[in-house]
Amino acid sequence: MFGDYAALIVLLPVLAFVLTLFLGKKLYSGGALLPIAAIAGSFIISFGTFLEIYPDKTIQQSLSWFAGMNIGILIDPLAVVMLMMVSFVSLLIHIYAVGYMAHDPAKPRYFAETSLFTAAMLGVILSDNILQFFIAWELVGLCSYLLIGFWYHKPSAAAAAKKAFLVTRVGDVLFLAGIVLLYFNMSEVVSSRAFSLEPGSFILQFKSMFAAIPHIPPGQLTLITLLFFGGAVGKSGQFPLHGWLPDAMEGPTTVSALIHAATMVTAGVYLVARTFPMFVAAPNSLLVVAYIGGFTALFAATMGLVMNDIKRVLAYSTVSQLGYMMLGLGAAGMAIGAGAVGISMFHLISHAFFKALMFLCAGSVIHAVGTNDIREMGGLFGKMKITAITMIIAALALAGIGIPLVNFGIPFSIGTSGFFSKDAIIEGAFAYGEQTGDLIPYVFAILAALLTSIYIFRLWFMTFTGTPRSERHAHESPNVMTRPLIILAVFALFFGYTQSGFYGYVDKNFELMGVEMAVHEGEAVPPSIIIVFMPVIVGVLGFLISYYIYYQRKLDVSKFITSENPVYKLLINRYYEPKLASDIIGVKLTHNVVAQSGEFVDRKIIDGLIIDNIIGRTAFKLGEVMRRLQTGVVQNYAAVIILGIGLLVILLMLGGV
Amino acid sequence: MSLYTYLLIAAIMFTVGAYGIITQRSGIKILMCIELMLNSANLNLVAFSSFNNNSTGQVFALFSIAIAAAEAAIGFAILVALFRVRDTINLDNINILRW
Repeated sequence: MFGDYAALIVLLPVLAFVLTLFLGKKLYSGGALLPIAAIAGSFIISFGTFLEIYPDKTIQQSLSWFAGMNIGILIDPLAVVMLMMVSFVSLLIHIYAVGYMAHDPAKPRYFAETSLFTAAMLGVILSDNILQFFIAWELVGLCSYLLIGFWYHKPSAAAAAKKAFLVTRVGDVLFLAGIVLLYFNMSEVVSSRAFSLEPGSFILQFKSMFAAIPHIPPGQLTLITLLFFGGAVGKSGQFPLHGWLPDAMEGPTTVSALIHAATMVTAGVYLVARTFPMFVAAPNSLLVVAYIGGFTALFAATMGLVMNDIKRVLAYSTVSQLGYMMLGLGAAGMAIGAGAVGISMFHLISHAFFKALMFLCAGSVIHAVGTNDIREMGGLFGKMKITAITMIIAALALAGIGIPLVNFGIPFSIGTSGFFSKDAIIEGAFAYGEQTGDLIPYVFAILAALLTSIYIFRLWFMTFTGTPRSERHAHESPNVMTRPLIILAVFALFFGYTQSGFYGYVDKNFELMGVEMAVHEGEAVPPSIIIVFMPVIVGVLGFLISYYIYYQRKLDVSKFITSENPVYKLLINRYYEPKLASDIIGVKLTHNVVAQSGEFVDRKIIDGLIIDNIIGRTAFKLGEVMRRLQTGVVQNYAAVIILGIGLLVILLMLGGV
Repeated sequence: MSLYTYLLIAAIMFTVGAYGIITQRSGIKILMCIELMLNSANLNLVAFSSFNNNSTGQVFALFSIAIAAAEAAIGFAILVALFRVRDTINLDNINILRW
């Protein structure tokens, strides 16, 4: 019954977008209620659909569109878990925003745009073909631009919005090129009769794509998947297109929470998960995914260590965690095949809960103290108990703290959601290392786990403990803001226990679509105790290091934090990535070379030579001559008219009409 | 008199009018020439009407005369106004519409 209305999951927030945009000022609380109601509706339908299709059904609805394309929705296990997560987290963020954005005069615009943002992401998830996926994907990009630049009167926000748009555009172009290449290959395959579309299915539908995999040449498949991954790199902020994500902190904190947890960066991971059978058929691409993911996880974590802006630390943390998800898809994909989707999606969803929680906590802190700089905070624990406690829960989840009791014969482990989800990825990376002897992704993952734990507890200790370092009267946020924190904290703590059920459900995803994936050889050797404990050990180690430095203050790190230290300089300048992006690529390359040569061609050659000299002068000279015809003497005109009529009469008489 | 005679007279009147419009420079003379051309057309209308036993042409000629009267009134009014401003009605001097 809910499944029949699945299209409403997207359409309700779109409707709310239109109504709020035009009527928001007249509605209660700047129009916040409509989007909240719409997204709550989306969540209810998603959840109802989940109950209907669990455990082994899928919903497909499809309409013919044009030229063999279609629009349609596909709800399979992969989609439905994402739908529930996105609509639920987005709902909580919207409720929180009622408090957070209470004093902003542009509330209708804010709520309209976030509503559209959510709708676009839900559209990405629901798509049953890659073209529709791409359209919704672009809509997500547009909304991120609008929302990052929400305070467009701030030059830094406008610049950040532009950067986000341009950098993700690089990925989008690659993604589009991948779609074009895929379409080319698909029509080749279909017209050569090596493979025929099922009746009622369309050429760019996921199921047709997967069914055609064996017929596409492996080299082409590798190229297609790499181009798809290029899109995912842009959207999910993977190295080297990660720079826009930390800059995106210029938007309101709730927008950051939406982007980082629910509605944007996960789209890239979802793209790879959605087209995973193609990646499995192209192992070289999987290797690239694993390496880029692993490297990003470590690379971003190092920058997270030194940032002083509370949101920027979290932003690097997101980049790093997205790296984990990619690593999970890549490395675990090579080791255990289709199961990698479950592992990665599980981390995606648990990350969504605790990262949304972190951003909302950060928003609560910023709301209270009026600054983003953690050096000016401190000692907030007593004043903001709920925020502080929910934040430490999120931090524990991010650091993956827990006790793997399973390995001692006890049927369950104790731990936060991140413990279950991240460890699975790290173990996947290890399994890959064991099978191939290539331990580099595993080393990346473990080092990143250590750094993750250090930076997140540094953040927590500097914000909530010690003595206040500035004269601000902090206070706990209103209920409308703290309640979502508590709900998210519950999920961050307990979501991990759904692990085995989740894997069992999502792993069936591609079987339900009738996709056969290459099963990888290799026995499932239970990893040794030390490997199982390794992530927890580094997590606790990171906590202790932070505790030692930032709580007990036994170790003075001020010697390290100077601009003389080359390592610190490198990190605080973010590996000179912003400089590279704006100075070298932006100013030197784009402006000085491309734009100025374009200007030269336009001004000097097209305007100067062609327009001025050739077209302009000819027209001018011609005009000089021709205007003599206009004598201004009426008799001349009359004479011409009479002559003309006379001629006509003569012609008529000669023609003998 | 045959129809042919009427048509010939009308044709002569029309040609004289047209010739006058092209060659004359005085505004009043040009206006008179225009009247001449109009009346040659009226003459045609009446002649055809009479020879075809159909009164429509004569009614039409009446309308045409009325309109010609109105047109002449406006034309002379313009010329009077022009004379007051420019002290001439020689159309050679009234050519500011030119390039």
